[in-house]
Amino acid sequence: MPMGHTATAQAGSGGLTATEHRLANGLRVVLSEDHLTPVAAVCLWYDVGSRHEVKGRTGLAHLFEHLMFQGSAQVKGNGHFELVQGAGGSLNGTTSFERTNYFETMPAHELELALWLEADRMGSLLAALDDESMENQRDVVKNERRQRYDNVPYGTAFEKLTALAYPEGHPYHHTPIGSMADLDAATLEDARAFFRTYYAPNNAVLSVVGDIDPEQTLAWVEKYFGSIPGHDGKPAPRDGSLPETIGEQLREVVEEEVPARALMAAYRLPHDGTRACDAADLALTVLGGGESSRLYNRLVRRDRTAVAAGFGLLRLAGAPSLGWLDVKTSGDVEVPVIETAIDEELARFAEEGPTAEEMERAQAQLEREWLDRLGTVAGRADELCRYAVLFGDPQLALTAVQRVLEITAEEVQEVAKARLRPDNRAVLVYEPTAPEAPADQDENEEAAR
Amino acid sequence: MTELATMDFHPRPQSGDAKPWAFPAPERGTLDNGLTVLRCHRPGQQVVAVEVLLDAPLDAEPAGLDGVATIMARAFSEGTDKHSAEEFAAELERAGATLDAHADHPGVRLSLEVPASRLAKGLNLIADALRAPAFADSEVERLVNNRLDEIPHELANPSRRAAKELSKELFPSDARMSRPRQGTEETVAAIDSAAVRGFYEKHVRPATATAVVVGDLTGIDLDALLGDTLGAWTGSSAEPRPVPPVTADDTGRVVIVDRPGAVQTQLLIGRVGPDRHDRVWPAQVLGTYCLGGTLTSRLDRVLREEKGYTYGVRAFGQVLRSAPDGTGAAMLAISGSVDTPNTGPALEDLWTVLRTLAAGGLTDAERDVAVQNLVGVAPLKYETAAAVASTLADQVEQHLPDDYQATLYRQLAATGTVEATAAAVNAFPVDRLVTVLVGDAAQIKAPVEALCIGEVSVVAAE
Repeated sequence: MPMGHTATAQAGSGGLTATEHRLANGLRVVLSEDHLTPVAAVCLWYDVGSRHEVKGRTGLAHLFEHLMFQGSAQVKGNGHFELVQGAGGSLNGTTSFERTNYFETMPAHELELALWLEADRMGSLLAALDDESMENQRDVVKNERRQRYDNVPYGTAFEKLTALAYPEGHPYHHTPIGSMADLDAATLEDARAFFRTYYAPNNAVLSVVGDIDPEQTLAWVEKYFGSIPGHDGKPAPRDGSLPETIGEQLREVVEEEVPARALMAAYRLPHDGTRACDAADLALTVLGGGESSRLYNRLVRRDRTAVAAGFGLLRLAGAPSLGWLDVKTSGDVEVPVIETAIDEELARFAEEGPTAEEMERAQAQLEREWLDRLGTVAGRADELCRYAVLFGDPQLALTAVQRVLEITAEEVQEVAKARLRPDNRAVLVYEPTAPEAPADQDENEEAAR
Repeated sequence: MTELATMDFHPRPQSGDAKPWAFPAPERGTLDNGLTVLRCHRPGQQVVAVEVLLDAPLDAEPAGLDGVATIMARAFSEGTDKHSAEEFAAELERAGATLDAHADHPGVRLSLEVPASRLAKGLNLIADALRAPAFADSEVERLVNNRLDEIPHELANPSRRAAKELSKELFPSDARMSRPRQGTEETVAAIDSAAVRGFYEKHVRPATATAVVVGDLTGIDLDALLGDTLGAWTGSSAEPRPVPPVTADDTGRVVIVDRPGAVQTQLLIGRVGPDRHDRVWPAQVLGTYCLGGTLTSRLDRVLREEKGYTYGVRAFGQVLRSAPDGTGAAMLAISGSVDTPNTGPALEDLWTVLRTLAAGGLTDAERDVAVQNLVGVAPLKYETAAAVASTLADQVEQHLPDDYQATLYRQLAATGTVEATAAAVNAFPVDRLVTVLVGDAAQIKAPVEALCIGEVSVVAAE
């Protein structure tokens, strides 16, 4: 039977608590009570993402995530969606480099249904998976790729930068959406093998958060998930370790039909879960995290050379994190002008570090973002799974904001000095080309000649 | 070929007993300066949401200055009588706050989100912005240039481009609604700080504004806080402003915005229909959900889950502008994108779905699931302060009573299949839909013409 864990609020957790349990088949369970609203969130993280994919099968983890909504032994076709929505719930799944998550937020009295549904597909997906759903969802995912990446300006920038920042053969070299060729190549047998390998109770964490009775919830979890066999068939993920810095400036120039020049860059940063990663988060916030940031003030307000300028952090646990710079130029401004200004600002920051007021602002921003994340039962359930899967301890989710607030200005300066350097980045430059001439215009030109 | 599972199966569980939940009722009051205030205590919501609505609608923009409301909205956070633009942004972020402002047909809306512990600071800043905005020449000039830089990005985005074209098609050319909300290159270039200040002086005053404050207000003396902040804002009394009627031409036709080489076609199929003041609204919400509210609705059941033509197509109704006398209107539309080679077949299927709906109606099962979802998700949907504040603000902006949303849930539950069918069929009549397609004309024009869903014309993307 599951082992309890006392629910005592830790300092800096905002009064939130969570208990941890483990079924005999290895499924880890995290419960957190909150009776303010009659809702309950169910979140299931499988420890598999695009980093587990092999050459020639990029996009398989995400395509597989779609197949998880195509029915299982006791759930017909789109029944998973129909039953949850018919119960007044909302649901979805997402795939990233490091994990695949599935979640339902339910009116509290419908919690048991969500647990039954998740257990049914965890234990019996292959009873329903067939060619028809495989072919259909392959087309859907290819259209997802077109809509979100291929048919929008700069849509493939992230994919290009990732491919630059992580070397060929590295598990993070490709993004979760995968390539069209690999999506075309995936077979039903690939999907089956993927399920058999990665979708096991001992490769997952289930969290349930909200207006729940923990004892009853745990009994339901045991009833529905307890008989699903665990197995040790999962191969160790490929090694994602890399040197702390890239050691040179990598660069790609893209000539494409985009509305304006752009300068983007990815900096190699410390792994998620470390103090240095939190320090990097603060550094990027001071430099490019809003309309009072150094880069915004310099490029958008003072030099007026950019229409938008900002930094983001992609936190990664199994490989170095990415600091993501995105600047779209104003009017006819050329990229070198922007690049020089950025290098000046980064060098100045590394030299002098953040001011006390900048630290206060950056910490206040990150604190509010955390309050937002933890302000919904679904957000809390997701964070509990994240810390359980990636760092082995869900309780860390409840104290994450405290850790950000404890970082010092010296630590922020240190990480900036070590990492935010030209020889630790992959740069992507967009140079616009003229639009392809419309066909009928060509005809007119022919006729005019 | 299937595989036997080895787990123990149990029958699908039954629902437990539902716990009562109701959309929160706000407390309404008026400050001495005439500002209307709605407040709502939401225990546990540590990030407080404040929405301020200004009666500064787009149709009040002077001729040739489309976009001045947008520039004014943005300029609110670019300095006051106490802070420069950079200082103002810094102070907001120091409070852990975000402030967004945007202009739309009904008016200008400012949205502040701030941790409850720093609410005083946040209210101070938003009050300064409304009471004494700097509108400095140089900052307005920067915002104008910034806006001009944004326009090509919007035109390059297929869904934004489609929305622009549909407005142009639907509304008469002299109606503000026919033109981009945030102005065109020509009109935005004509805006300066004098124009912004002129618009502010004419249309921004506490007597015609409303503030909505939602969040965990435990231990907060909101009356005192408001008195010191938004209560210190002064202005003349309200002047009645006529609201022009909304007219639209929904003659069935197709406009292709040509994007040679596009791998997908963006669809936006729309017309204009009744707003929330009309008795049909609950049935229309229900019917529209059954048609295209989710991936198990009629459109996606065919276009996505059977044919794989799309990542998803949605049908929706979105209020454009309402009036107290009920003469407002909503945009009723279907949107999504489909791969280029399947554009013709996808549209054919879409029209078949609409015709089948008109011929056979919705089933009781469809209606039941839709009601259970639309009503059942309410406690989830309104978990955050921001979601509650936004809906309360919508109600004010649309001249609806404060208990509108709560009433809507009861009406949805009481709406039958026949009414929902009629509303959906009336909302999306097959011969009264304006179809905008942003895609590769050379590839899609002939197949679309063959469908006979209206005259097809082609315009250039820019």
